[in-house]
Amino acid sequence: MSQWELPKPQPVMSEETAPFWEGTANDELRVQRCKECGNLQLPASAACMACRSSDLEWIRASGSGTVFSFTVVHHAFHPAFASEVPYVVADVELDEGPVLTASIVDVDPAQVKIGMDVEARFRRLDEQYVLCVFVPAGARPGRAGHDGGDQ
Amino acid sequence: MAGISGRVSIVGVGHTAYGRLPGRSAWALQVEALRNAVSDAGLSVGDVDGLFTESQFSEPLLMHGTILGRQLGLRPRFLSTQSQGGATCISLIQTAALAIDAGMCSVAAVVYGDNAKTGQPNIYGLAQMGRGQADFVAHGLLGGPAMEALAAQRYRYEHGVTDEQFGAVAVTFRHHASLTPHAQYRDPMTMDDYLASRWIAEPLRLYDCAITSDGGACVLLTSSERARDLAQPGARIIGMGQAHNLDGLRDRRHYTSFAGARASKDAYAMAGVGPADIDTAQLYDCFTSTVLVTLEDYGFVERGGAGAFAAEGGLGLGGRLPTNTSGGLLSEANVTGWGQVIEAVRQLRGSASARQVDGAEVAICSGHGGFQATHATLVLAGDGRS
Repeated sequence: MSQWELPKPQPVMSEETAPFWEGTANDELRVQRCKECGNLQLPASAACMACRSSDLEWIRASGSGTVFSFTVVHHAFHPAFASEVPYVVADVELDEGPVLTASIVDVDPAQVKIGMDVEARFRRLDEQYVLCVFVPAGARPGRAGHDGGDQ
Repeated sequence: MAGISGRVSIVGVGHTAYGRLPGRSAWALQVEALRNAVSDAGLSVGDVDGLFTESQFSEPLLMHGTILGRQLGLRPRFLSTQSQGGATCISLIQTAALAIDAGMCSVAAVVYGDNAKTGQPNIYGLAQMGRGQADFVAHGLLGGPAMEALAAQRYRYEHGVTDEQFGAVAVTFRHHASLTPHAQYRDPMTMDDYLASRWIAEPLRLYDCAITSDGGACVLLTSSERARDLAQPGARIIGMGQAHNLDGLRDRRHYTSFAGARASKDAYAMAGVGPADIDTAQLYDCFTSTVLVTLEDYGFVERGGAGAFAAEGGLGLGGRLPTNTSGGLLSEANVTGWGQVIEAVRQLRGSASARQVDGAEVAICSGHGGFQATHATLVLAGDGRS
């Protein structure tokens, strides 16, 4: 296989992250919760970033959030994305507090603004992973939900 | 001034040609840079008993320093390889200064070199970057500009920064590079050139981003006492600081203020100086936006004021704070922060020719990396011999 046929880079499944990916595979966005202090956090970590406890659990998030910042990527730094530029990646501040960095899909990049409300959707990356992505809030449900992968 | 301040000096600087150097290996570039720095100081390679390295980025290697040191036949008393992105150079210098001051080595070489321009493309390295914590790679957030763009976009939003204010940084530093014989890009750049450059990751254009270079660079340190007998005026290390926001862009405060605010505070305190005492700044300019935020973090301008400061000529030769006087990573060369320190030393020696800042006595350097995670600050002063 030449380097130009590289698959998209995968996330990493580990003791810390497995519950997150089990969630997305079931159309659920989950955030890590500290049982000691109640802090909610992403990404998955081996300890609470607020109180350092390792007594952690996962809760289901609403999937609603707002765009804290974003970029429209025009240059494909990895050949697997060459056919997708320009595309939007955003830091989404979830209603629960943590920030999730993820694609905003089904949107004209010129329409994306800081402060825009978005909601989670689930798109299959490959055989192993389903990604949580976002669409503008109130987007028609025709493409909503877990559509089995439209990549 | 307290403790170590002033007791260790940079006594030699050296680098290779910068640009497109096909056929040169990263190792050969590192060795050439080290030789040049040693020669600059009037020492020999065999005098080096402390080796401080960062692995070439396009071929990241564990235990890099052992491989470089072996090729030079060194048997150092102190060895350290570090990986803190753009803060690595200054962090290595600080470690070297501590080691020298503690008597654990006498002559420290701080070395970097890479053939990122013509060598092996770094596709695999990019895909590996941040694995374990950076699941966003699967969303196509790959490469420095795309990640930096998230911070730059928020910074623009909060402070109303314009395209032209970003552009002023790029155009000013290109002008400085045009006065620097060894700089990689010396052709003049106009604001129209800047505005016409293609988007990489909005709001960053091509000319907002560090260039890619083949090249090697080295700085050599020893005690300020020993420095008095060497070939060149020493640049005394009077202030050092580090600070790290390890949650980087996961913390919403870190888009518009970096760990440099804390690192510079420590460095100023050690040096016994403040922003008003700095004659020239050599700031880590992986992106134009990074320079603007660092100017604010370091107290040179008020929050949100850096864009206007740049647009009004504040960063230029003859401006209030001549900055990146050899062109920086945006135009001189991308040797990940070594260029900033080397230029600061040349300014303090008074050897910067057409770009010399008159009467430069105190310089500040920043190193910044890891997508807002790492930061290191160095304050240097001349030794009065220049």
